[in-house]
Amino acid sequence: MTSTQRRVSRRAQHKLGGTGARVTARNTLIAYTFMLPFLILLVVYHTWPVIFGTYLAFTKYNIISPPQWVGLANFRELFADGQFWSGLRNSLKYILVVPVIQIIAILVALLVNRPLKGIGFFRTAYYVPVVTSFAVVGLIWNWMYQQGGPVTAVLGFLGLPQNGSFLNNPATALYAVMFVTLWKGIGYYMVLYLAGLQGISPELEEAATIDGATRTQVFWNITLPGLRPTILVCSLMSTISAIKVFEEIYVMTQGGPAGSTYSALFYTYSRAFVDFQYGLAAAAGIIIAVISILFGLINFKLTRGGKVDA
Amino acid sequence: MPDLTSPLPAATAPMSAEEHARLAAQLRSRRVARQRVQNVLAYAVLIVIALIMLYPFYWTLITSFEPTGNIYEAKILPRGVSLRNYAEVFSGTTVPFWRLILNSLVICVLGVTITTTLATLAAYPLAKMRFPGRDLIFYAILILMVLPNEAGLIVNYITTIKLGLLQQTNPVIDAVRQYLAVVLPGAASIIGLFLLRQAYLGVPQELIEAARIDGARELTIWRRIMLPLALPTIVAFAILEFVAYWNSFLWARIMLPDKNMLPLSAGLLELSSTFSTNSRAVMAGAVITIIPILIVFLTGQRYFMKGLEGAVKG
Repeated sequence: MTSTQRRVSRRAQHKLGGTGARVTARNTLIAYTFMLPFLILLVVYHTWPVIFGTYLAFTKYNIISPPQWVGLANFRELFADGQFWSGLRNSLKYILVVPVIQIIAILVALLVNRPLKGIGFFRTAYYVPVVTSFAVVGLIWNWMYQQGGPVTAVLGFLGLPQNGSFLNNPATALYAVMFVTLWKGIGYYMVLYLAGLQGISPELEEAATIDGATRTQVFWNITLPGLRPTILVCSLMSTISAIKVFEEIYVMTQGGPAGSTYSALFYTYSRAFVDFQYGLAAAAGIIIAVISILFGLINFKLTRGGKVDA
Repeated sequence: MPDLTSPLPAATAPMSAEEHARLAAQLRSRRVARQRVQNVLAYAVLIVIALIMLYPFYWTLITSFEPTGNIYEAKILPRGVSLRNYAEVFSGTTVPFWRLILNSLVICVLGVTITTTLATLAAYPLAKMRFPGRDLIFYAILILMVLPNEAGLIVNYITTIKLGLLQQTNPVIDAVRQYLAVVLPGAASIIGLFLLRQAYLGVPQELIEAARIDGARELTIWRRIMLPLALPTIVAFAILEFVAYWNSFLWARIMLPDKNMLPLSAGLLELSSTFSTNSRAVMAGAVITIIPILIVFLTGQRYFMKGLEGAVKG
């Protein structure tokens, strides 16, 4: 073993935290044998799709005949396609869910973080929608939204207008689907915020209270800043999944009525698996990917730039 | 805020011990009363949210038992109870429900076994061994986790066909291949690798060194030391994976031309398109689809939450 090698591996050891047996050919072989099955599947199902998918975006492909290079033709076709734009618009509209779901999840997390008797039951109850499949959740809400169904009954009880089935009305369908996303997702983010809340030192909050801070002051000056890393992660995750909204739409509306819930990923899906235009679908996929990366970066900047105290 | 200053006498008249005690008791009872009001309010809000979260499930459950009546009506109790809809799910359809349940079970067992085995194996060298390329592999995997993969569905579909997993030769081999086609794309779980690496890092290095000095082979160390010590994380991860495999429907629906091979979630959607006249039967199917996941979730709840928290905190 050369000294550079030793130095490199010591640095690696320092960085990754683990130590281990000396670097020998035999140990290296053993290490790779342990990882081999994982790495094979990783390359086939995670790395290859990125590479081949990018290539497909520049081709015409229908599986039967080999891909045919067409340059930027797919992208030109996409930009000229009104359906693609309306899908993109709906996906961007879906980001409306993000702030609502984060605020509610934080409030619910604060609520279930109180040391009340039986609080475990409520935490569990709020999590049940999360572990249920979109296939089931979508069907249930399809029924709930039916005219004369539970949703209209509740709206009637509250004295709000009940204009038929929300999913059949182009003006309300997207918002009705958004509500299901919200309903299913709150429990998930609640648990993450609960973990974040438990990471905030209680001494800090106590000290502030003793110093005469009100509850609101403690929340704005200690709790919320303490939650910032969690807020960053959670809003990033929910922004990206909003742009990629698909499953709830697939189960509940299939893009209808009148294209009002047609999302960008639903466009990709129907190009690929209904029209068999794999190249065009891959190109749409790349645009969605770029947009989610952009939104990720914006999100990151916003949450970081808001208030830096480090 | 109640006025607390008035009962406090001026410093000129020092309080007797009795007065002091009375004041303390007064303050305490005020605090208790305020606490009680707050608790009542908190419970009220908690119950309202719980109703919003659970009523859709409850409503589906009671409606699935009703033989007839106005199906979409909001209600608190079922109008009549019968098992007719449940019988219908199993008999009155072209989708064989028993087969769907079996498919889901096979897919979950196969998926959870392969996924946890691969992740527990691969995380070991990354956490506890030294070899060239370790950092590179670790960071490459992290980048893959962040990289959005919209073309995944399309390319994985093509890959599955090219791998010959949908070829028809012999019924038994075909079935195994189709199950694998459903399971394999998710079998290399990056989150799982990450969680397990974190768990392994917590295992004391001395323990491993001692075993190595005693001449134990790496596989033995993995099986005898790493697996038992990382067990809570492994269980958490296995539960997460069970839920994911049980709930997956899109990939299977795209992938499998044979309706007899569909897992329950995917088959339920099939059911809802064939049973256009009897939504109650589909509700019964939905109830049957939810029950196993609820059992797994409720029994493994503590681990489940832990795994989820670990996934973010890292």
